[in-house]
Amino acid sequence: MGEHLTFIGSVTAQLVRAVPVTLLILAVSGVCATVLATGLTVLSVARSPLPRLFQRTWTFLFRGTPLILQIFMIYYGFAMVPWIRHGFLWTAFRDPVFCTCLAMTCCCSAYIAEIFRGALAAVPRGEIEAGRACGMTGFMLLRRVIAPSLIRIALPSYSNEIIMMTKSTSLASTITVLDITGVAQQVIAHSYRTLDVFCAAAALYLLINAGLSALLAALERRLDVDRAVSSISVPPVVEPLS
Amino acid sequence: MDDLTLLGFGPDGWAPLLLKGCLLTLAVSAASMAIGTVLGVLLAWARLKGPRWLRRTALVYGVVLRGVPELLVILLLYFGLPSLILSLAETFGWDAPGLPPPFLVGSLSVGLVSAAYQAEIFRGGVGAIPRGQFEAARAMGFGDLLCFHRIVLPQVARVVLPALGNVWQFNLKDSALIAVTGLSELMRTSLVAAGSTRHPFLFFGVAMALYLVLTTLSSTAFHYGGRYSNRWDRG
Amino acid sequence: MTPPSPTVLTATNIRKSFGDREVLAGVSLEAREGEVISILGGSGSGKSTFLRCLNLLEVPDEGQIAIGDVQAPLARDRHGRLVVSDGRVAARLRTQTAMVFQGFNLWPHLTVLQNVMEAPLRVHRRDRDEVLATARTLLERVGMAGFHAAYPKRLSGGQQQRVAIARALATNPKLVLFDEPTSALDPERVREVLALMRSLAEEGRTMIVVTHEMAFARDVSSRVVHLMNGRVESSGPPAHMFGPDASPAFRAFLSPAAL
Repeated sequence: MGEHLTFIGSVTAQLVRAVPVTLLILAVSGVCATVLATGLTVLSVARSPLPRLFQRTWTFLFRGTPLILQIFMIYYGFAMVPWIRHGFLWTAFRDPVFCTCLAMTCCCSAYIAEIFRGALAAVPRGEIEAGRACGMTGFMLLRRVIAPSLIRIALPSYSNEIIMMTKSTSLASTITVLDITGVAQQVIAHSYRTLDVFCAAAALYLLINAGLSALLAALERRLDVDRAVSSISVPPVVEPLS
Repeated sequence: MDDLTLLGFGPDGWAPLLLKGCLLTLAVSAASMAIGTVLGVLLAWARLKGPRWLRRTALVYGVVLRGVPELLVILLLYFGLPSLILSLAETFGWDAPGLPPPFLVGSLSVGLVSAAYQAEIFRGGVGAIPRGQFEAARAMGFGDLLCFHRIVLPQVARVVLPALGNVWQFNLKDSALIAVTGLSELMRTSLVAAGSTRHPFLFFGVAMALYLVLTTLSSTAFHYGGRYSNRWDRG
Repeated sequence: MTPPSPTVLTATNIRKSFGDREVLAGVSLEAREGEVISILGGSGSGKSTFLRCLNLLEVPDEGQIAIGDVQAPLARDRHGRLVVSDGRVAARLRTQTAMVFQGFNLWPHLTVLQNVMEAPLRVHRRDRDEVLATARTLLERVGMAGFHAAYPKRLSGGQQQRVAIARALATNPKLVLFDEPTSALDPERVREVLALMRSLAEEGRTMIVVTHEMAFARDVSSRVVHLMNGRVESSGPPAHMFGPDASPAFRAFLSPAAL
């Protein structure tokens, strides 16, 4: 019994040391994918057909194929391209963490862009017309009218996608990255105490996800105008209406 | 060797193996989908009508299996199942069976995850049926089973089918992770081909194209299935 | 005087509370074959709850119910609450009755014809050809003969309610329960549904109708029951209830209705 607890303790300590790797992949690809998705969303509403076609092809390609295949393509594929192998890019492409982040950025941007696109379509037309009627155009309309509504609508699905991304970071372990899953796999291969290691690793992922969910839920509450605890204080009416 | 010979049906061609990989991918996805549906229905039933301890268990199952990477679940079964079977055999005095076939391990692990998602879908689907529908059936003397078969199932199918289509797409892509267990489905086959021919771009590219074919075909199928199950809802 | 016709329904001392609120404080009702009983009362008087207790859609806290020769299978559990003790007997009790709902509750995934045929085919397991013939006759009867293949969503409220009535009659029930069948309809449609109900009454169907339609209660029913605060405040034949000797409480209930 005591030996058992010591084992779980030491496994957990090893796994916790891998948490920063998982979080790093998540943070880098999360931020990059969101930025890229914003760009793709802009393309998707472009007037000319070419940018729209690009966005649709991108989505089709990256949502229709497994992420693990995309990771292998980048990690093993680019290593065989001479000008990358011998060029300055090699320092990046030989790094499995970089390759994972790149694949996840491409893949998840496709998913997030679809979320943004759906949310954009769900922004009530009337709000945009009201903005136009006030004389807003272009960027101001986007920033002051469309974006606030869009973020509110997109946030639940976006949170969901972030949780999915956390789980996807585990794929880095298939190309030798020692993230939580990578370390777990190592320990299992040495000790064969699968269930203990699984439980410890699962607990860490659940903790990360719970933390992220709480964070995003707090953001959601803050932006929820229906519950009307606005951060903007409404100034009291000073003069009586007469 | 040029690309066409590598992808052909000749002695050096990988086409037969890749196509076999495709079929295996489809089969393992279908098996895990089926496991997920059966278990998912049970979980949804447990959440909706089960006693309190069962409701809790089903809830925890859902939270864990939806929050933990699929790869980790696959690893758990891949390494854990053999020792479980071994210790079971010991306790019951059976002959030690061989290792569990990778197909079983793969479809079971993806199926267990799929069940957690499908349970949520079924639960939502039943919740979307207006209460009056059940009352009308009960007022006419329908039993529980008849009510489920004639009233719940056809209506749930409509609400649920698009969401199940999504789960199927995820299953299809998650099945690629089973490659780590050595099952030579599409992903594994392309990895082996890429390694032994040193043409990774070519083979991963072909694998991608094949996955695209599979996902596109199945999403079309679900689209038409959804239209059929929805035929009574068009004004 | 003809000998009294047999009793179809006996409900004795039905009580029901939701939380602290007592909705039914002991209501009894007996219905003989061919009777049309209108249950009137203000909102919250418990009239719908009473009706839903009769076919056990709500389980009463207290009381006994018998329909035809089936006694409602009510027994006390270990906490002393009344529960349905035998689901099969409950289903048998329900097969003796049919219910028409305020919100129609047609099954949206079945066509008009399938809606009508569902219960006699699946619950009563009757012969398919016979059921089909009955369903056709009934749909013609309710004026929906041309809509066999339509799905409920395409129909107007009045049409849906007429199909629902055909569905209720399809099993040839001993007793038809109407739960405010016209309350969700616009005035145009109310008339067509009421006319249909009147013709059913004339043909000798036993009906219990919870309604706000005073004209229907006065002209069609054989007995009017006034519920107030979960009790039968007064009851009697319409000639009495709508005459000068009616109870003051019932007259007060009627007065805003501009008779």
